Amino acid sequence: MAIEREQLEADVLIIGAGPGGLSCALHLANLIEAHNAAKKSPALSAENIYVLEKGRELGAHQLSGAIMDPRGLRELVPDFESSAPLDAQVTDDAAYFFTESSSYKLPITPPPLQNHGNYIVSLNKLVKWLGGLVEAKGVNLFTQFAGRELLYEKRGSAEIVAGVLTEDKGVDKNGKQKDNFTPGYELRAKVTVLAEGSRGSLTKELVNRLHLDGMNPQVYGIGIKELWDVQPGKMKSGFTAHTLGWPLAADYYGGGWVYGMQNSRVSLGMVVSLEYADPLFDPHAAFQKYKTHPYVKNILEGGKLVRYGAKSLPYGGWYSMPCNYVDGALILGDSASFLNSQRLKGIHTAIKSGMLAAETIYESLCAGDASAQKLSAYKRKIDKSWLREELWPVRNFHQAFHGGLWKGLFLSGLQFVSGGRGLVDPMHTKAGYLDYEKLNRPDVLVDQSTRFKGDGKLTFDRLTDVYHSGTRHDEDQPSHLLVLDPSICGDRCVREYGNPCQYFCPAAVYEMVSDKDGTKKLKINATNCVHCKTCDIADPYQIINWVPPEGGGGPNYEGM
Amino acid sequence: MKILVVTEQREGKFNKVSFEILAASQQIAEQTKSSVTGVVVGKGVAALADELAGYQLDEILLVEHDLLDTYTPDGFTLALKQIVESTQPDLVLFPHTYQVRDFAPALAASLGKGMIGDCTSYREAGGKLIFVRQMFQGRTVADVVFAGEAPWIASFQASAFRADLAKKHATGKAPVKTVRVDLKPEQIRTTPLELFREAKQAVDLTQAPILISVGRGIKAPENIPLAEKLAHAMGGELCASRPICDEGWLPMDRQIGSSGQTVAPKLYFALGISGAIQHVVGMKGSRTIAAINKDQNAPIFEIADYGVVGDLFEIVPALVEELEKPH
Repeated sequence: MAIEREQLEADVLIIGAGPGGLSCALHLANLIEAHNAAKKSPALSAENIYVLEKGRELGAHQLSGAIMDPRGLRELVPDFESSAPLDAQVTDDAAYFFTESSSYKLPITPPPLQNHGNYIVSLNKLVKWLGGLVEAKGVNLFTQFAGRELLYEKRGSAEIVAGVLTEDKGVDKNGKQKDNFTPGYELRAKVTVLAEGSRGSLTKELVNRLHLDGMNPQVYGIGIKELWDVQPGKMKSGFTAHTLGWPLAADYYGGGWVYGMQNSRVSLGMVVSLEYADPLFDPHAAFQKYKTHPYVKNILEGGKLVRYGAKSLPYGGWYSMPCNYVDGALILGDSASFLNSQRLKGIHTAIKSGMLAAETIYESLCAGDASAQKLSAYKRKIDKSWLREELWPVRNFHQAFHGGLWKGLFLSGLQFVSGGRGLVDPMHTKAGYLDYEKLNRPDVLVDQSTRFKGDGKLTFDRLTDVYHSGTRHDEDQPSHLLVLDPSICGDRCVREYGNPCQYFCPAAVYEMVSDKDGTKKLKINATNCVHCKTCDIADPYQIINWVPPEGGGGPNYEGM
Repeated sequence: MKILVVTEQREGKFNKVSFEILAASQQIAEQTKSSVTGVVVGKGVAALADELAGYQLDEILLVEHDLLDTYTPDGFTLALKQIVESTQPDLVLFPHTYQVRDFAPALAASLGKGMIGDCTSYREAGGKLIFVRQMFQGRTVADVVFAGEAPWIASFQASAFRADLAKKHATGKAPVKTVRVDLKPEQIRTTPLELFREAKQAVDLTQAPILISVGRGIKAPENIPLAEKLAHAMGGELCASRPICDEGWLPMDRQIGSSGQTVAPKLYFALGISGAIQHVVGMKGSRTIAAINKDQNAPIFEIADYGVVGDLFEIVPALVEELEKPH
């Protein structure tokens, strides 16, 4: 039975209400306002801008450290300091090298980690605030709706992106329609903007379908974060610490952070690049261990865990950028690899890319032309803006660390003095999942009983942490984690890699179980998912496809 | 202070929560030296008003109207608005049922008042009532007080008070007063259809005094009947933690926890449940918690009143045998 779908038509459809998507909407609405004030034709309206957000409410899926370089926001909202929810201005920063029992303060904080003038923010709060500005302009913002599939139109030999299909609602576990079944909408637009953040599901599809990959494949990290309320006086508001070393060995790329926020709140976390050799490495456990380091433990002692979350982040930089304009669509923010992995900052670049996309779209709407050729102005605007100025010199930064921490520090030092060129330019990389070393172990499941449990005060097991992410999904819906060939999980993967999905997932979604007859199979606890996309990225066989669940499902990153 | 307590009935029978809320009002009245008026709303419910009159109340208001025969949000909102305006109570208390959730916020809004919904308890401090309600899926509780002028409207969660503590009238019966309300058919914007129950036998776990709950420790679907036997022997209902319902060994409407139901029975008997926080938030309000688990470090033992470290496959059959012995 063919499903009859409602159709809606917009000028511009933005997928994802993060800092990039909302900046695009706001800047475009501002341009349209000026356009109409000057009585220019054609008539345009901000009401024809639609934004889709899969979270329960604005900001629900926003997770970042976060230290924000205000450069982007200042251009978008010049007087932002008077109304934006900024937590604390960075007053002091330090970088440490951790060993198991000691910490060594680096004599000077490396320039990329110097943060004077930057703001510690809750990205969740910032995005809620930004969303308010966008809505006030008349833009249509739909929370609890995800883009499930891209719509294409054939024009000659070219395929033109024509909008998206939102997800069907009210489908049960077995794919049967429930009483409350509502078919997804066909949202058609002249320009579709993919602002899905790291590893966007539609972006992934589009990049594969139209072969938009950059010179290097994208490489990702996973960031795991906790918010704590600590005892007064334990941590100064506005103080930021970045750490290298323990518990990560030198062949892991990553580090930790501890930021002091207002009212004795502390943001802390760890990022680890998803390019490691040991398939049984558990990033969540590593982060829990991190909290037991004397430096961190001292800050947290007597405090209370408030929230937990995890998110992937794109490390690849300039050479991993996909082609970010096609017929009918643009890609921005993390989806388009605009994160500066040397400074570990992507909010300001997402905002800027959103603004440049808005300018491109505005010209396209005025000209009535949304072809790739017209939209290629986006790329030229990027090249002329400070985005390139900032990202080009660090184009090889992350890649330099592929041989380990020490080599990376050396190579990135050479890049620093040579404008980013270093010894080899461009440095090539491969996708992170190719770094796993095969275990070639017996055909039995790895014993999970010794997994990290935590003490329940300072450290926690994954289920307890997942609880603190506030994640919620309707139980009675199809799994949104599609395993293309489940037979691999119970057979090849057991022997070759020991089922790394049980380890890299920071939300205990994946579990290998044995039937009574000994058949091994993968059990997916999809309702635990915190939408970090790590499985889609780090699965060694690339057979996990993350798609959005029924809108409104997912974490609740209040205050994160 | 004057307290109005609004009971709930359907098809001539009280919802048991009505008596819980009655007990709550009596307790509040005692502490604050208040009068309590019971309200029965419907059509042909004089017998219920008479039943209510047997309880310790200052008076009963019998609110009857043809348009209140079956529940509609408009009918109940309009009727109770008139009652509140004419009787001018300080506090209006409701049981937090689905029906109340449907119309009480509208009633509060139509009176220009706020409402504190889904409270789990209250306390009195310096002549002021403080209401306690859960937040963040039960992870924390908040004290909430009313600002502004009376009337104040609040509802209490099911099982927050004990129905058996509702006091009977000391001297005989409370007077029943019939009150007229003015309703017109055109004010009711919805037309109720036939009441229906879900085709499968729906259980209301929140109303069951005894729950036998199974977790991963039950191992296989073939072992569910063992727990069923125990439930039968104890007169309880069967429920489960998420993995069991996820596997389809028990239907989803029997799932307890953050993604299932929240219950607070007199006895919660956890078989082979480790006690992950997601499960615990759904049952930690139980009056007595008993647990069997073979892992002595299982977190369920931190909240259990009685715990057995052992094999449920040994213990449960023995328990059933003992319970089924004729005494």
